[in-house]
Amino acid sequence: MDAFILSYAVVNGLLQGAIYGGVALGLSLIFGVLRVVNFAHGSFLMLSLYISFWCWSLFGMDPYLSALINIPAMFALGYMVQSVIIAPLIKRESAMVVEPLSALLLTAGVFLVMDNAALMAFGPDVRALQAGYYVPTIVVGGIPISGQRLIAALAAFAVAGGISYWLRHSDMGRAIRATAQNRDAAAMSGINVSSVYAMTFGLGCSVLGLFGALIAPFLPISPAIGLAFGIKSFIVVVLGGLGSISGAIVGGIVIGVFEAVASQFVTATSASIGSLVLFILILIFRPQGIMGRA
Amino acid sequence: MSKSNWARSVQKVLMAGAMTAAMGSSAFAAEAVKMGCVLPLSGGSAAVGNQTKVGVEIAAKQINDAGGIKSLDGAMLEVVFADSQSKPDVGVTETERVIARENVSVLCGAFNSAVTFPATEVAERMKTPWVVVGSVKDEITERDFKYIFRINNKATYDAREQIDAMDMLKDEFGSGPKTLAMLYEGSDWGRSHAANVKVIAAERGYEIVVDEAAPPNQTDFGNQLLKIRAAKPDAVIVALYTPDHLLFTRQMMEQRLDLPFGVHSVGGGMEDPAFYKALPPEAAFYAFVQEDWQIDILKVSTDPAILSADEATKAALGYGMSAYTAQGISAVYVIADALERAKSADREALRAALAETDIQSGPALVTGYNRIKFDEQGQNTFAHGVISQNIGGERKTMWPKENRAADSTPVWPVPAWSDR
Amino acid sequence: MKTTIAAKSTRSGGLRLNQTTVLVTILLVLALAPIVVTDSFTLHSMIMVLFFAYMATSWNFVCGYVGQLSLGHAMFNGMGGYVSVLMFTQLGLSPWLGMLFGGVLAMVTAVLIGLPTFRLKGPYFTLTMIAFAEIVRIWIENTNEFAGIPLKGAEGLIVPNRGDDFWAFQFSTKLPYYYIILSFLAVALVATAWMERSKLGFCLKAIRGDRDAAEALGVNPTFYTSLAFAISAFMTAIGGSFYAQFFRYINPERSMGLELSIDMAVMSIIGGQGTVLGPLLGAAILTPIAEIARGEFGGGLLGLHLVVYGLALMLCVLYFPKGAIEPIRKLCLRYFGGNER
Repeated sequence: MDAFILSYAVVNGLLQGAIYGGVALGLSLIFGVLRVVNFAHGSFLMLSLYISFWCWSLFGMDPYLSALINIPAMFALGYMVQSVIIAPLIKRESAMVVEPLSALLLTAGVFLVMDNAALMAFGPDVRALQAGYYVPTIVVGGIPISGQRLIAALAAFAVAGGISYWLRHSDMGRAIRATAQNRDAAAMSGINVSSVYAMTFGLGCSVLGLFGALIAPFLPISPAIGLAFGIKSFIVVVLGGLGSISGAIVGGIVIGVFEAVASQFVTATSASIGSLVLFILILIFRPQGIMGRA
Repeated sequence: MSKSNWARSVQKVLMAGAMTAAMGSSAFAAEAVKMGCVLPLSGGSAAVGNQTKVGVEIAAKQINDAGGIKSLDGAMLEVVFADSQSKPDVGVTETERVIARENVSVLCGAFNSAVTFPATEVAERMKTPWVVVGSVKDEITERDFKYIFRINNKATYDAREQIDAMDMLKDEFGSGPKTLAMLYEGSDWGRSHAANVKVIAAERGYEIVVDEAAPPNQTDFGNQLLKIRAAKPDAVIVALYTPDHLLFTRQMMEQRLDLPFGVHSVGGGMEDPAFYKALPPEAAFYAFVQEDWQIDILKVSTDPAILSADEATKAALGYGMSAYTAQGISAVYVIADALERAKSADREALRAALAETDIQSGPALVTGYNRIKFDEQGQNTFAHGVISQNIGGERKTMWPKENRAADSTPVWPVPAWSDR
Repeated sequence: MKTTIAAKSTRSGGLRLNQTTVLVTILLVLALAPIVVTDSFTLHSMIMVLFFAYMATSWNFVCGYVGQLSLGHAMFNGMGGYVSVLMFTQLGLSPWLGMLFGGVLAMVTAVLIGLPTFRLKGPYFTLTMIAFAEIVRIWIENTNEFAGIPLKGAEGLIVPNRGDDFWAFQFSTKLPYYYIILSFLAVALVATAWMERSKLGFCLKAIRGDRDAAEALGVNPTFYTSLAFAISAFMTAIGGSFYAQFFRYINPERSMGLELSIDMAVMSIIGGQGTVLGPLLGAAILTPIAEIARGEFGGGLLGLHLVVYGLALMLCVLYFPKGAIEPIRKLCLRYFGGNER
């Protein structure tokens, strides 16, 4: 295959992969701190997409501006879900360690409720929003790059970097990292662990709020889109390393480029089977992922 | 009381009695005729299902407002809707429920071929007539069934029409595509269409250079578009439902992918009015769409029922008639016509009347056919679609030539993005 | 000790309720039900309840006792259905035999998948099973023909109508299907009850408690989990063949999709995983909800039954971790006395 097509595929893969990574960030963070695999991750993204859509449809708000509403709204939702639904499970376990399967089942219940409540409320129709202005397509070396996707991809890097910095240098960030390392020690040092948990969950969801606003301009929105992104996020996060922020981005890019290049040779569906096979192999042979610690 | 007063009172009493008796008997005779309608009101095809539902409701209301079924003493049409959820087993279960519990005389539906195929088998087994709406799977009317009737065209017709249109334009303008790319949704509809296109393309000398099934719920068509770009086909045939079609069309514009003879969509997304609301209009310019009805019929028709149905659709959905609304309307008028001739709501009588159907005018032809007559397999052999081209945001019928309006001129070859 | 128990049973009038009694009673009631229920549609609903009860029981056979959450079991269902239907349409083989082949294929797949996967912890195991099931589903959905066998991809397979033909596993009325699925369910329940008390059952529970400790005590976790997984997969595949013959249509999305896997797991969990009757209870509670939600609201409130499932699941995890069967069992023990088992 010629070099142009190959490099085009790689560029496609980088953009799409970075977006996957940005979306998966929250999942990794939540697992890293709470040790909870949030089965409802995709559902939160779906909700944030709808928030941006309704802001545009009802108030004519520009999707990028809707991030101002989306981010706090999703933060609040995440905080609430953690405090009301997940916290009782954690409290029940005396050592404040969540039995992993119970947490998975609980978040699976949340996923069922959220996805189907959205289906009941919004209907199954696909919505698409149209930005009022046209974000230009940048052509680099003959390869057209969609401006909207580029913005979302760059945001993924920026957010990953920003969160890593914040985790290292802010008080709350340090508390979160301490809890992630050893919750008992953290509790004994006077950290309010349940507050940290709620903050983390809220933070993870607010990242989804941002990305919902960023990808709404080019993605058709329906209740089913949550599950599709959810499964991709699991693959990305496991590949990159559960609990690692940079791992989410790296994992996303690996998957994105792999699928982009593979689908030039085989059908896109075979490429997605390839990702799943890769996912299984990593889980069995290197469960800590590319960037994770063993 | 004087004699005349008494007589007048008796008259009044007799009149009152007669009127009550008359009202009583007409109320008795006006027992509604129940009609079942299995549609995807939820799930992947919900948008289509809801448009069809609106069409059915509008047509039933028109018929009821005009006095119901006259040969049954003005019996009203009562439609019982059932949601197939776009799933075959749910559709089958709902069909059984509607026949056994709701006691309908006739059924219509169900758009998704995967649902209609098994559900009509149930209807045949339970000896209940079924008027197929929207499903194109060939085998539905190839089973020697006696109770199943299909108004719309079969899948093979669709593929044939797309290639016929290309051949026609080639003759008209002197040039046409030699290589084709095919991108289609990976389930029933897309795959069977692709298979049909392959057969006809081989017969007519077209070469298929890309044959790609798209998984559902894609979030990015970038990879497939790149594959198409690499293969450099002259035209692309697309069979996608609304969400995927939206994404594909938008990305094609963003990536400025040029194909000399354009996009030929077999419908799906591009027949859905919601599609055009969600895209900048330029994204769909010059695209060819195989429509299941004559898209510009509202311009040429003078039938008041059709025009008022369009108004009612706009009131209900916010946009005018689509192929799916039209199919719903047509089905109800065909059933009403059969009821009039059967003079009975009995399933056997209705089946016999449906088999004798020969409609050559009226609102049942809202889909643009010239005639509705079922062959021994229950297929309306006069069914055909049209191929339209999107000129400046308006879809104008280009094929068959007989349906082309005088002021419609195809644009062929299709201009590159930079020339638009 | 002895006197206390004896006192209990005399106080309750000598009525002893143990699991076997309950099981036999339920099966008897179900066997006699069609005498009263003649409406075809209600019979259809009951068949669906029994079918899901059977599937949930098959799932529970391994997952309830080993304590792992498999959300990929639907792939065995699909395998069973596809193998038996294809053997019927291509080779003319009776589905009664075809389903055994399907079961064997499922067993082999289960063992191969289970070997590297079972030692993964909780969520990792679940995600891996989802991935395996998705691979199978996506592959079949996109493959029209493989080695000359027409898989027909997403179109699905249709079983040609043979009317009333026992060897073709087809009947023109619902009643035979009812008794067939009831027998399958009875077998599955008895198998579970037997397993619980057998060495296999004890080893599984030991592994659930602490895999490493069990291994240290000489229990070979790989062998026992593989055995249970294989049996569970076999039973699930048989269920898949039944489904194919009942609806005479299967496709990848419905037969192998995540939704079916979740249904099986949720019913077991809500009813009470790790018990014999829990999955049946779960199916009896949840399936009618789905039927009612669809029938009454006719598409007006789509997805309602899944919202209910989700809420039930959350409540269950938080407040009834042993499932709905636990409070019922406590009630029975209080009023009827009898053994723990």
